[in-house]
Amino acid sequence: MTTPTLSGQAAGAAALLRGGPLGLLARKRDQLLVLVVLLAIWQGLSILLGEYWIGTPWGTVRRLVSGIADGELLQHASYTVAEAIIGFLVGGIPAAALPFVLRRLPMVTAIIDPIMVGGYGSPKLALAPLFILWFGIGIESKIALIVFTVFFIVYFSTLAGIRALDPKLVQMAQMSGASESDIARHIIFPGAVPHIFAGLRIAMPYSIGAAVVAELISANRGLGYMIQLRSMNFDTTGIFVALAAVCFIVAVANWIVNIVERHLLLWRPPADVTAQKE
Amino acid sequence: MAALLEVRNLSKRFASRAGREPSPWIIRDLSFSVADGEFLTIVGPSGGGKTTLLNMIAQIDTASGGEIVFQSKSAPLGDKTSLKPGLNCQIGYVTQEDNLLPWRTCLENVLFPLMAQGRLNDETRAHAQSLIRAVGLEGWEKHYPHELSGGMRKRTSLIRTLVYDPPVILMDEPFGAVDAQTRVQLQEDLLRLWNLGRKTIVFVTHDITEAIALADRTLVLTRQPSSVAGEHIITIPRPRDIRDILTHPEFVDLYRRIRAQVQ
Ligand SMILES: Nc1ncnc2c1ncn2[C@@H]1O[C@H](COP(=O)(O)OP(=O)(O)OP(=O)(O)O)[C@@H](O)[C@H]1O
Ligand SMILES: [Mg+2]
Repeated sequence: MTTPTLSGQAAGAAALLRGGPLGLLARKRDQLLVLVVLLAIWQGLSILLGEYWIGTPWGTVRRLVSGIADGELLQHASYTVAEAIIGFLVGGIPAAALPFVLRRLPMVTAIIDPIMVGGYGSPKLALAPLFILWFGIGIESKIALIVFTVFFIVYFSTLAGIRALDPKLVQMAQMSGASESDIARHIIFPGAVPHIFAGLRIAMPYSIGAAVVAELISANRGLGYMIQLRSMNFDTTGIFVALAAVCFIVAVANWIVNIVERHLLLWRPPADVTAQKE
Repeated sequence: MAALLEVRNLSKRFASRAGREPSPWIIRDLSFSVADGEFLTIVGPSGGGKTTLLNMIAQIDTASGGEIVFQSKSAPLGDKTSLKPGLNCQIGYVTQEDNLLPWRTCLENVLFPLMAQGRLNDETRAHAQSLIRAVGLEGWEKHYPHELSGGMRKRTSLIRTLVYDPPVILMDEPFGAVDAQTRVQLQEDLLRLWNLGRKTIVFVTHDITEAIALADRTLVLTRQPSSVAGEHIITIPRPRDIRDILTHPEFVDLYRRIRAQVQ
């Protein structure tokens, strides 16, 4: 009589550990541990190599706080974020829409395929000077580089999503009397959404990265410009502050993508235990 | 009764893929007809081409030879793009795999054909709900397919076709994934529905008992390349009691004869 109760309690406790509040706590604790270890390594390196080469964590935090307080950091960061958002949308939306338009035109898809592959594979960093030449050192050249980076990633993942769809589902819909537009709206699109999101998830940090890179090369505002300026002044701690800001922006953007995705993909079975979100 | 559907000297082989021999003949010289309002069951060995046959009748695949005539109109040969899957909702098809849309709940899947045909209203919704109740899916309407068992998914896909009431229904082993009790229940429900509306049903199964219990006529197919091995008119009077049919003298005799033909 007692054995099942005990094992039941054990199973309950295990479940609590895995998915419940205790599990959340355990996971947070582990994440904190990793953070502490990384900070220790950072501190160790800065002692070993000298503050000139690697700014201390504490120094970085102090500069970060003062940068936020005097508004300088926020001003540059918001400039970079604005570029990234505009570029992400201008590149991502047509890239997600184009494969749907091309679905009925396999000839056109085949013809433009080499161009798309070329665009996807081309080194974006090498293109930055060209875009600056064409569009100047203002926001336009940065957006152009981001659009160029984001477009191909999202295009190919959306295309893969459309191709991965089970043709039997389309046949079922046709037999049920669905029109072409019904099929596009109710079968092809929802089927491709997970792939579109996979593309957006990869493209998102790239868009921020591309913004920073373009600013590094030539700009008078933005986090990339900040890094460039500070490296010329041998201000390592200052560079660390800008990099920390970039990391923070990527983390927030990723969090937003996660939330939107979770709401849109409620129908999906959880992939595995580790993929379960708290 | 007039033949609603006629299959004449039908043959099928699949096109070759690069570096491969073209497939052998899957179906060779298969002929039979189905009368309006008839309940036809088809039994045959696994891999014999039964699904392939239904796919061609439903016009989601083309024949390689012969003819399929539905309501005096021949299905197009050769060109897949000129096919009309389901022939404007006149032929419903409960496929072997459930083919549910994973992003729609059980109820939303059942309502899909009604929505696609612009027939969604209070009356059809109530009808859908009554079918859900009839197959024991009540309480599961809001669940997504991955949250349902194999048998529940199968039942969902079954009523997704029944709900829009096509005059001809093809069924490919619809009761394969359910337990014996539920299976008998579903068979009785199907017979009751069929008695009410007298649709034309072509029903593929592995189960000889099921084939006899439901049908007006049973067709036995040979191994690949498949053709007709035998045809049996079932005269067991209706309405039938499926639970008692095993002891019916005609049943015992039919069972023996069909078993001998199914290799
Ligand atoms: N798309 C395809 N390309 C090539 N061969 C195919 C294709 N579809 C089916 N076949 C072949 O056709 C044969 C018949 O398949 P089919 O699915 O019609 O059998 P079945 O009678 O429905 O079998 P089961 O009772 O197991 O469902 C098999 O040998 C299979 O390999
Ligand atoms: Mg089959």
